[in-house]
Amino acid sequence: MAKRNYRPLGSVKALQKTMGRYYAITNYHRYWGKLLRRPLAWVTSGAPVELLRAFNIHSAYPEQYAAIYSARKSTVALCEIAEAAGYSQDLCSYARSNIGGVLRPDLAPLGGMPKPDLLVACNNICGTVLKWYEALARHFNIPLLVLDTPFLTAELTTQAKDYVLEQLYAMVADLEKITERQFNEKNLAKQMRLSAEITSLWKETRQYCKASPSPLNAPDLFIHMAPIVVLRGSQGGIDYYRKLKAEVQQRVEKAQGAVENERIRLVWDNIAIWPQLFTFYKMFAEKGACFVTDTYSGGWAVEQAPGTPMESLAATYTEVFLNRSPEFRANQLIDLIHEYKADGFVMHSNRSCKPYSLVQEVIRRKVMLETGVPGLMIEADMADPRSYAEEPVRNRVQAFLETFD
Amino acid sequence: MQKYFVGVDIGSLTVKVVLLNDDLEILGTAMTRAGFSGRDVATRLKDQLLADSILTSHDVSATVATGYGRVSFPSDREVSEITCQAKGISHLFPSARTVIDIGGQDSKVIKLMPSGKVADFAMNDKCAAGTGRFLEVMASALEVEWQEIGRLASGSENPAQISSFCTVFAESEIISHVSSGAKKSDILAGVCDSVASRVASMTRRTGLEPDIVFTGGVAHNQGVVNALAKQLGYPLLVSREPVITAALGAAILARDIHK
Repeated sequence: MAKRNYRPLGSVKALQKTMGRYYAITNYHRYWGKLLRRPLAWVTSGAPVELLRAFNIHSAYPEQYAAIYSARKSTVALCEIAEAAGYSQDLCSYARSNIGGVLRPDLAPLGGMPKPDLLVACNNICGTVLKWYEALARHFNIPLLVLDTPFLTAELTTQAKDYVLEQLYAMVADLEKITERQFNEKNLAKQMRLSAEITSLWKETRQYCKASPSPLNAPDLFIHMAPIVVLRGSQGGIDYYRKLKAEVQQRVEKAQGAVENERIRLVWDNIAIWPQLFTFYKMFAEKGACFVTDTYSGGWAVEQAPGTPMESLAATYTEVFLNRSPEFRANQLIDLIHEYKADGFVMHSNRSCKPYSLVQEVIRRKVMLETGVPGLMIEADMADPRSYAEEPVRNRVQAFLETFD
Repeated sequence: MQKYFVGVDIGSLTVKVVLLNDDLEILGTAMTRAGFSGRDVATRLKDQLLADSILTSHDVSATVATGYGRVSFPSDREVSEITCQAKGISHLFPSARTVIDIGGQDSKVIKLMPSGKVADFAMNDKCAAGTGRFLEVMASALEVEWQEIGRLASGSENPAQISSFCTVFAESEIISHVSSGAKKSDILAGVCDSVASRVASMTRRTGLEPDIVFTGGVAHNQGVVNALAKQLGYPLLVSREPVITAALGAAILARDIHK
């Protein structure tokens, strides 16, 4: 393997162990699920997983598996299966590769995902998940629970919060039937506390990157976000982030940068380019450019909203940044640029992720105008390598980095 | 003793070389098709230019390479076309704030700071619509030499509508215009409008600020120049040799590096 221009983290071993254990438990669910009366749910990344945990439901994330498929170069083969089955190439590559993996698990890394007992979709991240999960519900003939979070053009209104809260109570009734367990608000409160703890650890770890040089670069954030996504609220996840945080803190104390000779500090916007995770960010690292923070993995570092556990769930999951106005997102980016003393930002116009990408040009102009730092737009896809044109991308990146000379 | 600098632009379709002296005088320019090996073609052009000025490689103080083939060419530094184009244009047109460059497979818009540095840029992506290649394919479908497109399109009274951005689909649109009896000049004017509208929307994206300079091989095409000026609502400045402006910028950067 070619020399990477950044410092590897020792915590990678602990990460592999933590995630390896999660995959093993998940993929062998068929051996223990029925026995322990713990159904397996496939859930969207923005689903209120604390509520599911309160019902002892084990969750698996098609989006997260799709990222693994992509990093392991299986996305094209899986997408082609879905496309041959009639799914449009314009559809999200996570959806296509997930559906491809359902139809042909033999082509999917990890043998595909274990068969679910129920599906939980929340449209706070996008509208695609609704139709995607409906297709899955028909295929597996299992229940689909949907949480509809209204798009916030400004702040969360009481009506919107009540609307989501009412659905959460309906979801509780459904989950009581499905799991044959009684809802216990104390149990939910406990899950929320654990979730808040892991979120704080992730947030504090990220904030160390305000140091110069930054102890972490974007690929570190993207790799080490896996437990906050799938193990939110678990003790294993908390233990892992304690280790990571300690290592990152040490780096700051020793003034060790993730990138050698950090010269340019950048902020990243949008999902990672998984199939090019190292080659893409290497172009920046080679020139001393480090991505000190990002809006994507930062989505899991947001503190819970106040209120009773149920109220907090309703507000927290409705207020996720992808469910908010371009103004909110522009301000979020502007704040990050100031807080992390960034010299510029890079936006990934992600062909798959419409809600993340469609408004980026408006945001880019506003942020450039208000901060005075340059912003680059790269066109690619989070998982499908067919949407990545290497030479044009290299050209843009080089021209962008030359503006700092 | 006089010093000499070389700028080499190995593009997707053509190779351009500029020889410059320390007083920023252009001693010679050369261009030809890139063919299979842009690197070999560029070496040949460079040697030829030097020989014409009775110089050898030893007389060259610095060389900068740009364009898609920049990495393959032995140089003191490889620089992106965007930086080179900005350098070349702000040298030729100090008042330029917006540069529109339409080349073989790229169309790009560069916004310049008053200092001539790059403030922002936009490029076409993974698609040959709005580029020289698009024009070439359409010209070939109409059996017209690409150099003639501008002259023929200027004679159009009723430009045809080419709605598809895709080069392949646009070509079949043209074939259906031909079979329905449309005039060649009208179809060509439609093709020029199509390129212009694609590039105009990209220009508006970076923010339109005069003076606007149009450069790259397609700037030779009066049909696109007219269509673009009309769509943007501003006159366009065009250099006498729009094809070599990035190579000129590379040569100037070679001089900067040397200092």
